[in-house]
Amino acid sequence: MADALIFMMGKFEAVLPGDLRFCRNHMWCRPADETLRFGFTSYAVRLMQDVYFLDWQVNVGDRVAETQQIGHIETSKAVSDLFAPLAGMLIQFNQDVLKDPSAINVDNYGIGWLFEMSGPARDTLSAQEYHDFLDAGWEKTQRMLKGHM
Amino acid sequence: MSRSRLAVVLAQAQGKNPAKRALEESIVAALIMESGLDVSVVPHLYDLDAEHTGRMFLESIPGDMVLLSWLFPRAAFWLLDRDNIKGHWGETQLKPVDNDDLDDEEAATPEPPKGIGALNVPDRFIYCLDLRDSNNHGAFVEEIRRIAAECKTRQDAKTAAVAPKLLDLGTNLRNGDSKNGDIKTPVSFNPEQLLQTPDRRWYPVIDYSRCTNCLECLDFCLFGVYGMDGHERINVENQDNCKRGCPPAAASVPSRRSCFPITRLPRLPERRSAPSAR
Repeated sequence: MADALIFMMGKFEAVLPGDLRFCRNHMWCRPADETLRFGFTSYAVRLMQDVYFLDWQVNVGDRVAETQQIGHIETSKAVSDLFAPLAGMLIQFNQDVLKDPSAINVDNYGIGWLFEMSGPARDTLSAQEYHDFLDAGWEKTQRMLKGHM
Repeated sequence: MSRSRLAVVLAQAQGKNPAKRALEESIVAALIMESGLDVSVVPHLYDLDAEHTGRMFLESIPGDMVLLSWLFPRAAFWLLDRDNIKGHWGETQLKPVDNDDLDDEEAATPEPPKGIGALNVPDRFIYCLDLRDSNNHGAFVEEIRRIAAECKTRQDAKTAAVAPKLLDLGTNLRNGDSKNGDIKTPVSFNPEQLLQTPDRRWYPVIDYSRCTNCLECLDFCLFGVYGMDGHERINVENQDNCKRGCPPAAASVPSRRSCFPITRLPRLPERRSAPSAR
């Protein structure tokens, strides 16, 4: 298994497991058999902080396009829309996080997974590529965060 | 529960927002100190299916009721009506603080046509309060006190109008529809049963105060959500056939005569007058 990388968000260490693929909307992707499982990266969870509510506006069996809006999330920071990381068909949602979304904060790479899709994992990033992607945008993200403070 | 006591049911927010939960807890804590109220808490109203104990409890409440929920009052009222928890519209004096956008929208919207109203409405009132209308628990407590006094005045007037019987060995646990003489008492559930987290649901709610039975929604829906009742009226027959995030049925008919109560679309216009019932 490839080693995990760490992306430093100030003093916070965002762990990027080496065996996962990553998407530019800050979701991780774990290919397994015919399906891809998705969840939020540690980077996303750190920015969102406590998750209060999660809701989907698509159904199991729906085909979604990349970047199509599929739901929204309410956190201690904001209410944000959620978008499909890839094109494909929705296989299932994690019912446990719908009932108690705090699992996203507790174990975002494990029991806090979000949904599964079928479809090719095209254009996903390795941990190193995602790390570089975060690094390239970090200055801008910091300016935006400070502007909101 | 005696008919002289007012049932107050608080339907919790979906999710774990601590600010919402704190408001709910403050309201409940204040209300349980009030005399003459029976206070209960259930999960989010929209998610309660027919098997949920919270729904069964709501169905068993015989008399006047105050429902506090995170839904627009009209949506909550007609949601209950669809679930056969019927009553006359109780007018609340608690209104949103900042209503400017709504006023603009309503001013631009012509008065909707009069709807076909509800059927078989029992002799009781249901007051629906929107928990988004104030951040201050005191505003809700004060309004519920006012409602309790209003209900008592109405009950007293009704009692005074009925000639006393020579002999009445019954209790005062009569159903809201006293004409058929049914005796109905609220079912007892422990708080854990009432608060079991239900699965999420998604379905439309028809506002019969605006619905003119045009059947556009029946024509539009591909999934058999809508049907006709025994009185040739449109109804939401198969709620759970509805597809999440699909609002076209509401858009297919004018004046928003049906709605999706938890949609994140802009705020639905609230009517100023009472929904019609017959």
